[in-house]
Amino acid sequence: MTDPGSFSHRDKCAIAGIGATDFSRNSGRSDLTLATQAALAALDDAGLAASDIDGIVRCDMDTVWHTDLADSLGIPELTYWAEVGPGGVAPPAMVGQAVGAILSGQATCVLVFRELNGRSGRRYGLGRAGLGRVGGAGSYDEFFAPYGMVTPGQIFATMAQRHMYEYGTQPEHLGAIAVTCRERANANPRAQMHERILTMDDYLASRFISEPLRLFDFCLETDGAAAVIVTSADRARDLRQRPVLIRAVAQASIPNPQPGIQFPVLMRDCITELPGAAVSKTLYRRAGLGPDEIDVAQIYDCFTITVLMQLEDWGFCKKGEGGPFAASGAIGMDGAIPINTAGGHLSEGYIHGMNGILEGVRQIRGESTSQVPGAQNCLITATPLPPGSAMILGAA
Amino acid sequence: MGEPAECLLPVVDDPDTGGFFAAAADGTLAILHCATCGAVLHMPRAFCQTCGGFDTQWRAVAPRGTVYSYTVVTHQVHPLFPAPYTIVLVELDALPGVRLVGHLDGRPQITIGQPVHADFERLADDTVLPRWSLAVA
Repeated sequence: MTDPGSFSHRDKCAIAGIGATDFSRNSGRSDLTLATQAALAALDDAGLAASDIDGIVRCDMDTVWHTDLADSLGIPELTYWAEVGPGGVAPPAMVGQAVGAILSGQATCVLVFRELNGRSGRRYGLGRAGLGRVGGAGSYDEFFAPYGMVTPGQIFATMAQRHMYEYGTQPEHLGAIAVTCRERANANPRAQMHERILTMDDYLASRFISEPLRLFDFCLETDGAAAVIVTSADRARDLRQRPVLIRAVAQASIPNPQPGIQFPVLMRDCITELPGAAVSKTLYRRAGLGPDEIDVAQIYDCFTITVLMQLEDWGFCKKGEGGPFAASGAIGMDGAIPINTAGGHLSEGYIHGMNGILEGVRQIRGESTSQVPGAQNCLITATPLPPGSAMILGAA
Repeated sequence: MGEPAECLLPVVDDPDTGGFFAAAADGTLAILHCATCGAVLHMPRAFCQTCGGFDTQWRAVAPRGTVYSYTVVTHQVHPLFPAPYTIVLVELDALPGVRLVGHLDGRPQITIGQPVHADFERLADDTVLPRWSLAVA
């Protein structure tokens, strides 16, 4: 509270519209078509036209560029564009860019989008290594890929093994996260796993992918797109939807996060903590809120272990107690902090952090298929690997 | 010529990391240090944030460590790595906190804290890789 400049954006901007495509394994559409469809849905939701948009923010892993989408939609003039990465760390920070642009007068109405044909196109689960020489140029892959470490799942499995060693975390703890997200997806007709029931027995019987992680510890690979429209809180009040205020956004890295794309995170001092521990301090301060005041959370879930560690990082339980906390029912609809109420990346679809923001908006509007009654504050995290970003959405 | 590679070869001539592979070719496990103040620079990069220098030095360390963590890969994703195999995250005995990754065939009996040691495997004329093994109990 001694740093007024750090939260001067509190409640000044709002998300005025949300839109998404269907989530599937084979969209049959180009990345540009997916991005356009999500953007059109968000415009319609907000009651805005393409000509109202003067800013676009994309993720560094989008294949669609700002001008591609502006051209596709017929946006007459962009006065602002930006790109944020890396990857799944970006979405709340992308909204943060929009907030900064609006409050500094560079734009008035900013479209933020993420698109990917993540199943029928490039599958992140297959990793990055081909058959040629690997590494160099700051990737540091040369220290990992020649030993067979080629996927994000293998990184998180190594973290999970260490978490089990240090804290006694059990398979059933990870399973509780998978089952909880699946139950939310079963209530959400948009979710890829809407009709697929998952019990703890199913979870424990599923095959290992990279021990100790099983099939259902991994998120989906999804074709789809999602978009939100950010504008000033004042303007949002005049639009179609009840405005959802952006309480605060934050980005943070940790000391010595290690260089490279992803694998060197295993060289950090501590591999059982994610950058949420750093992001949370800044975000809670900017929002003037703490974990006790968060009614519902969309926790970045590329893997179950990612959620388990963030429950600790974000102060919902003590360090090391994420497993028993998750298994206690605390993350369910009647628990202390219901999470991933649309099903998350584990069971709704993997739009690389962006679908969590859409679900946060639905919670504050009171429109979720797993609605937390009277939700006033929703946390959305994207803190899987260093660095990270996050935001809190709130009711007006 | 024309034959598919049987192993995944690392880039060995990167300006920041090439010394690791040059040392391996000489049968030495080397970790980058600041030549001025002695700070460890791992992952390897030239600038020393401790003293502000750019003078670096690859220093040999004993090729021994302990298992810090591991994963048994049971779902094959890369054509050159048939499952199951085990990836070990090794912490060096000589430099606590400094870690390297290793590969073990199959699914050996393994526990965190178990001792490991490295020898060196020539993968190609110009490419030698440290190869970690579980110390015999």
